[in-house]
Amino acid sequence: MKVRGSGKKAEKVDVPMAPMIDVVFQLLIFFMLTLNIVAPEGDFNINMPIGAPGPPSDNVPTSIQVRLLADPETGQLAQLQVTGQEPYGSGPAAFQRLNTYILQQTGAGKNPLADEIEVEIDPDYEVNYEYIVKAISSVTGRMRDGKLQRFVEKIKFAAPREARGRVAG
Amino acid sequence: MKFKAAASSAPEVDMTPMIDIVFQLISFFMVITNFEQTQADERVKLPADRLAKPAEVKRDNELVLNVGYKRDKDGNKTDPRALVFYAAQDIPVANIGPKLKIEQQVFKDTGVDLKEVTLIIRADAEVPAGLIQMLIKLSQEAGFEKFALKAKAEETAG
Repeated sequence: MKVRGSGKKAEKVDVPMAPMIDVVFQLLIFFMLTLNIVAPEGDFNINMPIGAPGPPSDNVPTSIQVRLLADPETGQLAQLQVTGQEPYGSGPAAFQRLNTYILQQTGAGKNPLADEIEVEIDPDYEVNYEYIVKAISSVTGRMRDGKLQRFVEKIKFAAPREARGRVAG
Repeated sequence: MKFKAAASSAPEVDMTPMIDIVFQLISFFMVITNFEQTQADERVKLPADRLAKPAEVKRDNELVLNVGYKRDKDGNKTDPRALVFYAAQDIPVANIGPKLKIEQQVFKDTGVDLKEVTLIIRADAEVPAGLIQMLIKLSQEAGFEKFALKAKAEETAG
């Protein structure tokens, strides 16, 4: 059987590249312009059931109260206190001490009552939100070998306090 | 002087490497582009924390409230009041109650139990804690029960 054209020399097929390059550049520009770099964010759950709008819970033995005192003018942390403990100060070491205290209370996950422990955050009106996050973070747990070791899950706020200094609302 | 007579022909440019690179770039941008509609407001300067890691499972029902300050280009506050950036409106925290009631009604109308809704607070690092507590109180009055506070992930050794 004779194959048509089998004797001919293979010809190079000329594919028009211009339209493809047009489209490809369009796509490239589109993706470049829609690119929105967002820093990864995480969140901390707060346990605030409606039935209990922050009553004093000192009579519960598994409740730890963390008090954040502020400089009324700047909102900077002036003192970090935990009920029944010496004041912790205001620097990063204070939050480290809080973290260590919570670790001791929860027994690094070995205490069977650790799940029952509840932490109440009681900040001054003026204290900056960043210190609240630091306090909640110190209470929540710590990072070990890239993994979160959780201490306490039940975190709530005490009843709001009256404003003394700056009122920014 | 004698010039070499050369037949004029269109120079043939090799397109293959360029197309390779361009496809690489397109693939890169396609992979890192995030089309998800987040309710995050860029004006809010979140505090950073080591423990703040993005959630592995996305919540089904959430309402995000952005609380921050109006700032100029240099980051200085142009308005000392902390505002809730809500649907293109800037509302003082104390006045957000009616809007939360509307949100609550929307969730109810769509058959969502408010107990399943997480109210996520994205607050500026300098917002007073009292306002966050006020916001939580107003949200509770509107019927919300689950709350979460946002922080930016911080990458530090250890």
